[in-house]
Amino acid sequence: MTTNTNKSCPIPTKILTLKDWSQLPDCYSQTPGGTLFSTTPGGTRIIYDRKFLLECRNSPIAKTPPCCLPQIPGVTVPATHPIGKLQDLKEEMEDEEKDLADDNQFEMDI
Amino acid sequence: MATSEPKPSDVEEPQPEIPEPPSSESYIKHPLQNRWALWYFKNDKSKSWTENLRLISKFDTVEDFWALYNHIQQPSKLGFGCDYCLFKDGIKPMWEDDRNKLGGRWLMTLNKQQRHNDLDRYWMETLLCLVGESFDESSEDVCGAVVNVRPKGDKIGIWTSNCQNRDAIMTIGTGYKERLSLPSKPTMSYQSHDDTSSKSGSTTKNMYSV
Repeated sequence: MTTNTNKSCPIPTKILTLKDWSQLPDCYSQTPGGTLFSTTPGGTRIIYDRKFLLECRNSPIAKTPPCCLPQIPGVTVPATHPIGKLQDLKEEMEDEEKDLADDNQFEMDI
Repeated sequence: MATSEPKPSDVEEPQPEIPEPPSSESYIKHPLQNRWALWYFKNDKSKSWTENLRLISKFDTVEDFWALYNHIQQPSKLGFGCDYCLFKDGIKPMWEDDRNKLGGRWLMTLNKQQRHNDLDRYWMETLLCLVGESFDESSEDVCGAVVNVRPKGDKIGIWTSNCQNRDAIMTIGTGYKERLSLPSKPTMSYQSHDDTSSKSGSTTKNMYSV
């Protein structure tokens, strides 16, 4: 029997193909055939191939915008979107207010 | 003789199938190996680098990934100086992060024409490689990916955690190039962050190439 203390050995992996979604563990932190990949030898990594991922693109959930996205004009809302414009306007006004606050701290025109 | 006993004809008769809810499976979310965070960087010179970096959203299922992807702008439509960064939750999209500082990146430089032809497609393939864990065990080394939209030419990079992990880096580089169906020439190169941050672009040493 030989032992090799100098070389490290990767955690062994195996590939399981699921036939049904019910075979997935209930908990997101678990993988089929094991628990956490990084700590449990024999655990599995959740791998999705390109074809499967693309098939999910048009699922009803994927068509629903995620909630609580920050409003970023030109990124999460169109650049010309009213909210985008409002956001720009708000930022401009805030900038102006800042300028005013810096320059004329005690003067107010109403 | 019990009257309730089924006649042979009853047994033979096929039972009417209970209709499945038509779209029950389409509402299942498929968990990802990792939770990911998408960041947006806008080059506003009046603000600091970190102030310009904004977290857009985090997700940990295939469906939530697409929900985000389907509702944000494509990289080719972003302004010059803007970036998208997709990183594993807990890793900040900057060299200084503990899980990036010993690492580096596979860097793909695009020419100006490729913004319209290839940029969005390459970025989507990059995202699919990351969330789908396309590099086997080497996926563990992946920290994230960045797309830079720049006037001179756009860039896409996959960041890994340690520039000395040759095997993992080569697996990632080879697999990535295959996924993008890139020709064998020009080669794609890997640079350490340490080198990139301390030197100007043209003198940065290429540690590995595929």
